[in-house]
Formats: sequence, C-alpha cells, structure tokens
Amino acid sequence: MIPFIKNMLVIARRDFLAIVATPTFLLFLLAPLFMVGMGLAGGMGASKLADSARGAGRIVAVADAADVEALRAADTRLRAGIAREIPVLDVRIAGPANADTLAIATEKGSDTYAVLSGPLAAPRIVEREPDSSAGRYLAMLADDVVRARAAGPLPAPAPRFESLSSGGTSIAIRQSLGFGAVFVIFLLTLLLAGQTVSSLAEEKGNKVIEILAAAVPLESVFLGKLLGFLGVTILFIAFWVVMAIAGGFVAVTQMDPAALSTAGQAGEAATALAAMPATGWPFFLGIGFVYFILSFLLLGAVFLGVGAQAGTVREIQMLSLPITIFQVGMFSLSSAAASAPDSGLARFAQIFPFSSPLAMAARAATDDARSVHLLALGWQAIWVALVIFVSVRLFRAGVLSGGGGWKFWRRTASTATLAAATEQTTDDRR
Amino acid sequence: MNDFSVEVHGLTKYFGDYKAVDHVSLAVPTGSIYGVLGPNGAGKTTSLRMTLGIIDPDAGTSRLLGGHKPASVRHRIGYLPEERGLYPGMKAREAIAFMGALRGLDWSEGRRRAATFMTELGLERVIDEKIRKMSKGMAQMIQLIGSIVHAPDLIVLDEPFSGLDPVNQERLEMLVRRERDRGATILFSTHVMAHAERLCDRLAIIARSQRRFEGKVDDARALLPMQVRYIPRDDSDAASIAAILPGGATLRGDAWHFAIGDGDVEPLLARITASRHGVAGLSIARPALHDAFVHIVRQVDAGFDADPATDAIEEAATA
Repeated sequence: MIPFIKNMLVIARRDFLAIVATPTFLLFLLAPLFMVGMGLAGGMGASKLADSARGAGRIVAVADAADVEALRAADTRLRAGIAREIPVLDVRIAGPANADTLAIATEKGSDTYAVLSGPLAAPRIVEREPDSSAGRYLAMLADDVVRARAAGPLPAPAPRFESLSSGGTSIAIRQSLGFGAVFVIFLLTLLLAGQTVSSLAEEKGNKVIEILAAAVPLESVFLGKLLGFLGVTILFIAFWVVMAIAGGFVAVTQMDPAALSTAGQAGEAATALAAMPATGWPFFLGIGFVYFILSFLLLGAVFLGVGAQAGTVREIQMLSLPITIFQVGMFSLSSAAASAPDSGLARFAQIFPFSSPLAMAARAATDDARSVHLLALGWQAIWVALVIFVSVRLFRAGVLSGGGGWKFWRRTASTATLAAATEQTTDDRR
Repeated sequence: MNDFSVEVHGLTKYFGDYKAVDHVSLAVPTGSIYGVLGPNGAGKTTSLRMTLGIIDPDAGTSRLLGGHKPASVRHRIGYLPEERGLYPGMKAREAIAFMGALRGLDWSEGRRRAATFMTELGLERVIDEKIRKMSKGMAQMIQLIGSIVHAPDLIVLDEPFSGLDPVNQERLEMLVRRERDRGATILFSTHVMAHAERLCDRLAIIARSQRRFEGKVDDARALLPMQVRYIPRDDSDAASIAAILPGGATLRGDAWHFAIGDGDVEPLLARITASRHGVAGLSIARPALHDAFVHIVRQVDAGFDADPATDAIEEAATA
C-alpha cells in the first residue's frame, strides 16, 4: 500500500508542477477576474436599464381636487405593506370635462399600466392588461379613500413590532443555504473537473505512458493525475478565497461605518450570516469542502477514464459537451433534492454516487445528523475507487493493447471468436 | 531463487485476427546479456511488453527475478520502451530523478546519480537543460539513464541502439557491460546484428510471431557451414584446383569460395598441402551472425510461402 501511495504522489507531484509552472496557469488562475469584471459591467448595465424602466412605468388617478390628498395618503400607507413593486402613482386633478383616459394611457414618455377616473365610489379603470395588479391597486386605493371618509376620523392603530430571535433559522433559509452549497460545488467542479478529461492525452502524445505503465500500477497513475489536478484546484480556490477575504477587509476599512449599517445589502448579509445551517457553520463549511473534493474526484475520475479512451484531441473536444451535460444533470438532480429535503428524490440524489456529494452537502444545511456524512463519504470514496478500477481495465484492454481505442468491445469479440477457433483446431488435431 | 531472471512460457497475443505473438518462450539466465533478435514487426516489442506485464497476454505466463509476477517486482526492473518518450518541459536531471522515483528511488538520490551518469556519458553540458531543447539521440541517452538509475536487477531495453550515433552506441555497449558486471541481467531487442554479436551471451530469434532459434551466438552461427576463401599460389590449372576442392566451389577474382562441413576441415588442409598449388591466402571462418539471422528469417519466410503449417525450422533450430 505504501509504495502505491508513493507512486501516486510521484505522479501527482509531476502533474502539479507541470501545470503550475507554466504561464498558462496564470491565465487560468486569473480567469475568474474576467468573469467578475464582465459580471460587474453587465450588472451595472442591467440595473441602469431597470432604473430607467422603473421611472418610465406609472399608474394614473384622475380625481377631484378634494380626493387628491386622501389618495396620496392611502398610496403611501398601502404601498409600504405590499411586497411587490408598484409603479409610481401620478395623481391629477379632474377638469370640468370628462378626462380622456385613452389619451392619458397613450401619452409618450412612460408606460401607463392603468388609469382611474370618475367618482371614487364608482371609478372607471382603464388597464393595459385585463385583470392586472395595477388596476386592482387603483381600485384598492379608491376603496380605502371611500371607506376612510365614511368611517370618519379613527384613532390610528398602534402596532408593536417584536422580532422572533429565539426561534432559530427558518427552514426556507436552510434550504437556500443547501441550494447555495450545491451551486457552489457544482460551479467549481464544472469549471475545474472537466480539465481531467485531457490529462492522459499528454502521456499518450509524448509516449511517456509506456514508462509509467511499466514502472507503476496504472491505478496509481490515474489517481495520481487526479490528485495532481486536485492540488491545482485547491490552490486555485485558496487563492480566490484569500483574494475575497482581502478584498472584503479593504472594502470594510474603506467604507463609512454609518453607511455600512444603513446599507440594506449589509443588513441582509448579516441576516444570512446569523442564519445557521443545521449542523453549524464550521461543520457545514468543512464538510462542504470535503464533499467538493469527493465530487471533484468522482466526476474527474469518470472524465479521466473516458478521456483516456479517446484517441485524438478532436475526440476529447467532442467529449466536453456530454461531460458538461452530465454535470448539469447532476446539478439539477441535487438542486431539486435540496429544495425537497425529505422526498424520495432527495434520497435518490443522496445515494446516487455522482450526485451524492452535492446532495449530501445540501443535507448538511437542513439536517443536523452528522454521522450520516461519514457513511456518505465512505460510499463516495468506494465509487471513486470503482471508477478508477474500471477505467484502468478499459484502458489496459483497449488502448495499451494497441486495440482501436473505442472499439474495445469489438476487439474482445474477435478475440473470443479466435480463441474459439483455435480451440476447434486443437480439438481437430486430437 | 533460481538461475533465471526471466522465465516466459507460451506467450500469445492476438491483435484482432492477427496473431502478433505465438507461443514465445524465453529463459534468461541471471547475470547474462540476452538478445531478442527479429525483423521489423516480428513481435519483439509485444513479447517484451507482455514479459513486463504492461499488456496482458491472451495465453502464457511471465515470471521475473525468481518466480515473481512482473507487477510485484516493478521496482527491481528498468525498461527502455521502443517508443521513446519524456516530458519535454522537464530538465534532464529532473526527468531522470522522476523515472527513478517511479521505481521507488529517493528524489535527491536520483538527482545525484543523474548528474554522475550524465557526466560519465559526456552529457554534463545539458544536465539542467530541458528535454525539448535536446537532440533525439541525447534525449534517448537521458531516457536510458532514467531506466537504469535505480540500479535494477533486470534491465529490459527495446531497440536501444536505434537512433544513436556510433559514439553513443559505443557508450551504450560500455554501459550495458558495466551493468552486467554489477550483477544485473540485461534483456534487449534489436535488429542490428553487430551489437548482438558483440554483446549477447545468448539470444533468441523471433520471426513471424514465433521463436525460431534460441542459443548462444556461436550456436546460431553454427547453423550455417563454415565459409572458406582460398587463394592458390599457383593458379595456372583451374581444373585441377577445382578437383581437390568440394563441389560448388566458385572462383571469384583469384579466390575460390566454398562452404565446408565441420569434419571436412582437416582433410581439405591435407589435400591442399599435398597438392602443388600452394597457399597464397586461406581463411576458414564461421559466417557472421548476420548471415545466420538472414538464413533463419528467409527459411521462415520460404516456409510460410510454401506451406504455412510446417514447423520444421523451429524444430531443427531447437533440436
């Protein structure tokens, strides 16, 4: 066992150094910078677009001068309690003639969703889409004003707000934490594990594979290559975690504390941080990282095995699509499982080896049982070994024996018929 | 322990419908230099790969270094594949240490030995040069050093001489002999007879997927009768000279050429001495390994063309 691990580390060391000690690696390492940059630019553009669109949308109420104040007050009050965004209310004073609602609705410069006119007790509402929420909101405003007037002055209710601090984290937040874990692990494996598909191409190209195959068990070559790339991956992640933490510190020290406390974003982030995964933050993060490693090893082993069968660079490139689709499939399965933690689907996703790391990481957010993770890790490790074992068998049978790459089944078939034929002739001789 | 470092029985390998190797058996005595000879495509490389367990035979067994399976004694074996390959981005010293580390040698020890070997072989100039900057022959020497840097007990070299210039071929021969003197067993394949003739203690000839000969170099050469070249001092009477020589003697220039059986040497000398023709030049020599090799391979080919079923040649060779 010890020589096996030693061999594996020799291979891993070579691969790690060969990858890291190239200028290309710098590009690889900094690639997310482009993604972040593009994301920021895109986000800014999108929010500007949203802002201008928001300014353009409106609803219009044409009312008597006496009702204007009441309408505005009702709008302010109701708007605060409604979660979804309502277009700006434009209140106009009705003239002696009947308002031309159609003209108002088609005025240039803004989108008008609904126009209210006529007496508030029996308003006429013209809306762009039938039964729209904008129309119903205007009706609600009219109703509120009419009722308030009929009831006369009432003492305003004095609600007392208390926060639910002792109830723990809600199930919804835990589920979204689980989904977040699934997403992060998926994104990282998608970006990084696919690289393993071409990692044996180098040895096949420069013929080193025969030296390796003669000197060490192929299992340790395959595992060593996976470990080498895992090392690169961990370096990559560590670099970006450090960058993110450093960036965070800089941002905090640069920012005005007052602005920080009032910023809604920070408040939300604080809520998220205050939320606890069912197993607690340190365990959740730790196990999440371990599941990432397992996910990387499992998918990487599959891709390595498949890529080892490929004969040409073109074949390897062709393989990247099914590989991506496979990963997205595992992601969909696991994220469905994350949003329904106790369903049969979730159980399946947790047991099915290739989605298991993702689904189990999500489970760590919603379920406080810890020992089950040990079981899952063992199960996944068995599958890593199994995938490597099968890949090596196929590689030996197909590629090393000089058979035609993919057609290992045909080769074995012809060998079988030949063996049968030889047996026949020996029988004849007897 | 026994006296054979390599014991291979009945190795057989099919590539599709083609029988690339057909019941090849080898027994390489410990501490010897053993050559596997054969024309291109005869199945030498496949036989060696199966011997080392790199590919699985369809039939037959391979036992190395005293009855061990190849996989269990990897660290005691050195192997130079026919298709040379190194990581082009690695420095020579690192490449050698890497190959040593694969066989269980310590990295730092590997680097140290790499420098020693390279200095000995006149390569000290490129110790810290990257492989991609080297010539093909240099890279091959690096790979050769890499395959023996861990001081293996069994060294298997597949076509080690091809691609080397005469000076490096000379150095390689020196290296092979030195490894043998250290106690290692060397098994190598080649189709260049000169090296085999100089180096091998024993050899096997593989042609058309089968082993056609096994024995010492002299045994191979003994397959053909001795060749005589005779120049009489007095060559005026060609007919009477021909009369004392065996049938089939031909006159080329002023020398007679003919083959002669082992028992006929002394009678021939007696006849020549008794005759009045004198001796201006006389050589009686075994044919070179080259001729024996060509003879065996031609016989196999002829056998294939005439009657594919015949195995007479192999039986004659091994008898």
